[in-house]
Amino acid sequence: MLSVRNIVKQYASHRALDEVSLEVPEGKIFGLLGPNGAGKTSLIRIITQITGPDSGEVFFNGQRLNADHIAQIGYLPEERGLYKKMEIGEQVLYLAKLKGLSTQEATKRIKYWFEKLEMQDWWKKKVEDLSKGMQQKVQFVATVLHQPELIILDEPFSGFDPVNADIIKNEILELNKQGATFIFSTHRMESVEELCDHIALIHRSKKILDGSVGDIKSTYRSNTYWVEYEGTYSLNQADPIFSVLESQQLGNITRIKIQLRPGQTANQVLIALLPHVSIQRLDEVIPTMNDIFIEKVKNVN
Amino acid sequence: MATNKTLLIIEREYMSRVKKKSFIVMTLLGPLIIALFYGLIIYFSIQGVSGTSDKIAVVNENKTITEKLKSNKNIQYEYVSKSLAEMKKSVKNSGYDYILYIPDFPLDKPEGVQILGEKQAGMNLSGRVSDHIEELIRNQKLKASGLKQADLDNLKSSVNISVKKIAETGAEEDSSAGASTIIAYVSGILMFIFIMLYGIQVMRGVIEEKTSRIIEVMISSVKPFQLMLGKIVGIALVGLTQFLLWIILTTAISTAVIKVFVSEDDMKQTTMVQNDGTKMTSAAAVKDSPFGDIQKSMANLEVGKIVVVFLFFFFGGYLFYSALYAAIGSAVDNETETQQFMMPVMMPLFLGYALSLSVVTNDPYGSIAFWLSMIPFTSPIAMMVRLPYGVPDWQLALSMVILVVGFIGTVWVASKIYRVGILMYGKKTNFKEMVKWFTYKN
Repeated sequence: MLSVRNIVKQYASHRALDEVSLEVPEGKIFGLLGPNGAGKTSLIRIITQITGPDSGEVFFNGQRLNADHIAQIGYLPEERGLYKKMEIGEQVLYLAKLKGLSTQEATKRIKYWFEKLEMQDWWKKKVEDLSKGMQQKVQFVATVLHQPELIILDEPFSGFDPVNADIIKNEILELNKQGATFIFSTHRMESVEELCDHIALIHRSKKILDGSVGDIKSTYRSNTYWVEYEGTYSLNQADPIFSVLESQQLGNITRIKIQLRPGQTANQVLIALLPHVSIQRLDEVIPTMNDIFIEKVKNVN
Repeated sequence: MATNKTLLIIEREYMSRVKKKSFIVMTLLGPLIIALFYGLIIYFSIQGVSGTSDKIAVVNENKTITEKLKSNKNIQYEYVSKSLAEMKKSVKNSGYDYILYIPDFPLDKPEGVQILGEKQAGMNLSGRVSDHIEELIRNQKLKASGLKQADLDNLKSSVNISVKKIAETGAEEDSSAGASTIIAYVSGILMFIFIMLYGIQVMRGVIEEKTSRIIEVMISSVKPFQLMLGKIVGIALVGLTQFLLWIILTTAISTAVIKVFVSEDDMKQTTMVQNDGTKMTSAAAVKDSPFGDIQKSMANLEVGKIVVVFLFFFFGGYLFYSALYAAIGSAVDNETETQQFMMPVMMPLFLGYALSLSVVTNDPYGSIAFWLSMIPFTSPIAMMVRLPYGVPDWQLALSMVILVVGFIGTVWVASKIYRVGILMYGKKTNFKEMVKWFTYKN
C-alpha cells in the first residue's frame, strides 16, 4: 500500500537517508527499526509530508504521495504533546477537524473513543491536569480518530505503564484487524516480535535488512538446538550428525547445545540419541529480533 | 481545504486568547489606566498653574532696582532685611522654600543672582524667577530712559496665536500644533506598544508549540506556512479586538474622567488667568493655550482617517514584525534563548519610536521624517506620528505599498526559517544556522 522508492534526504553535511526503498504491505504491521539517529524519523517525516525528499518517490495506494493523502494518514510522533491550556475534548476536536472531519462527526467519534478507553470525564480537563500516561492515551485517540488507512506510530509505548501499554497494544491489534496498516518505529525489540509482521532495519541512513519477520528469522537459523537428556551418551567431536557447542551437567540431566552438520536433521539426532538416553527436551535455538538487530548493526560497523 | 485549515487555526488562536482571563482584565483595565493617566496629566497641568506655590525669601542688596518682585500664584516673594549669611543659617526653620539672593550689580551687567535652598530649585522655577528679574531690569531701564509706569503697563500684551492650515480648497482650517502633537504621540506610542505586545505573543505562541511538542502533530496535518499564518492572523485579530474595545471604552471613560477632574470652575479659572495678562507668566501661557484649542481642532483633524490609517499600519507593521518574531520563536527551545535574536528585531522598532517622537514631531515634513515613514521597519510608527500634521496622499499611498511589499517579504523569509526551525529540538541556534535553513529545499 505504501511504496518508498530510492529516497535520499541530505541535510547540510549529513545524509539522513541514502537510497532507501521499502514496501509496506496492506493490512500489515510494519516495523521500522534502527538505532537512534539512523534516519527513521527522517523517513517518517517524508511519508507524513512534513519534509520532502531530495530525490526518490513515495507512492500511496499506487498514487504519488500528495496533500490529499494527509487525511488518510495518522501520525503519532515521538516528540509529541498537546496544548497545555486547552481542554482535552476541545483539543482532540480541533486536531480531528484539521484532518478534515466535520464537528458533528468528530464529536461522535471522540465520545466513542473516550468511552472505549474510559476517559469520558476528561473532556473538560486541561492537559496540565493529566498524567503523562493519560496524555498519551489522548494523543493515541487523536491519531486514530479520523480512521486513517495508514497509522504511523513512533515509539508508541514509551512512557506507558504496562497496563495502559497493554490497552493500547490491543487497540492497535483491533484496528489492524479492521484493515488499518501500521508503521511502527521503535528500537524496542520485544514489542516488535509481539506485533510486527514485516520489518525493515535502517542503520546509518541505509536500509540494511527487510522482509517478513518469519522469513528473516528463518534465514538467521543456524541449525542449532538445545538438547536435554538423562543417561549417558559419549559425546564425540567427530560425531557425523552434529557438533557439540556447549555441554553442562545438571544433576542427572545433561544439557548440550549442538549444531547439525550440513544435510542432517533434528530427527537424525533423535535417532542417534534415543537408544542410549531418555530425551527430556529438544528445541531449536531461534535468534530473537534483538539478536538479529545487534548482529546486523555490529556487522555493518 | 487548505484555507479551511488556516481558518481553523485562526479560530483557535483567536478564541484561546480572547477567552483568557488576562485578555479580559487587560481589555477592561487598559482604558481605565490610560484614561486615569491622561486625566492625571490634565489635572496636574491645570493644578500646576493654580496649585503649588514656592515661598521665596528675597535678600536684595541691589540699590539700582527699586521695583519689587511681584508674587503670583506659583511664587511668593517676601523681602527680608537679614543678610545672606544669616538667612543661610536659619533657612531650615524659616518656613521659606528658597532664598533668592540679588547682589548689587549694574543694570547692564546682571551677575551673581543665586537661588539657594535645601532642595535644589528646578529648571522651571529658576526660569520663572529669572524671567521676573529680567522684567524688573527691563522696566528699570525703560524708566531710566524716561517712560512712566502708566506707559509700561500699556506695553504689556498677551498674544495667543491661532494656527491655521490652508486646505486644498483654499479655505482655512482651525488647527493646533498642540492637538496634532498629542495625537501624534498617542498614536505613535500605541503603535509601538501594539507591535511589540502582539509580535511577542506570536513568538511565545510558536515557542509554546515547540516546548509542548505539539508542533509535529500539527505539522502532520497542516503546512508549516498555514500554521504560521494562522497564528499571526489570529493574534492580529485579538489585537484589533482589543484596540477597538479600548477605543470604545477609553472614549467613554475619559469623557467621564475629564468631567470629574476638570470641573467647570477650573475651566473658567484657566481662561480667566489667560485673559488677565498681568497675572500671567509667559511660561504658563504657553502651557495653557493648547487646552483651549484642542477640543475645537480635534473636530477638524480627520479622526476617521486617522483610525483607518492606524488600523492599516498596525496590521501591516504587525505582520512585518510578527513574521520575524515567528522565525525567532521557531529557532529556539525556550524564551531565555531569544535574547540574541530579539536585539536586531527590536532595534529598528525602538529607533523608529525614539526618532518619531523627537525628530518627526519637530519637523514632520523634513527629509528624515519622510524616509522614516517610508522604510517599513519604522514606517508604521513614523507615519502615524506624521499623519496628524498632514501628509500628502501620494506619500501615504507609497508608504502603504512599501509596507505591504515589506511584510510579504518578511513573511516569506520567516516561513522558510520557521518550517525548519520548528522541528529542531535541543540545538543551540545562531544566525549562521538560520541562514542555512533559509536555503533548505522543502
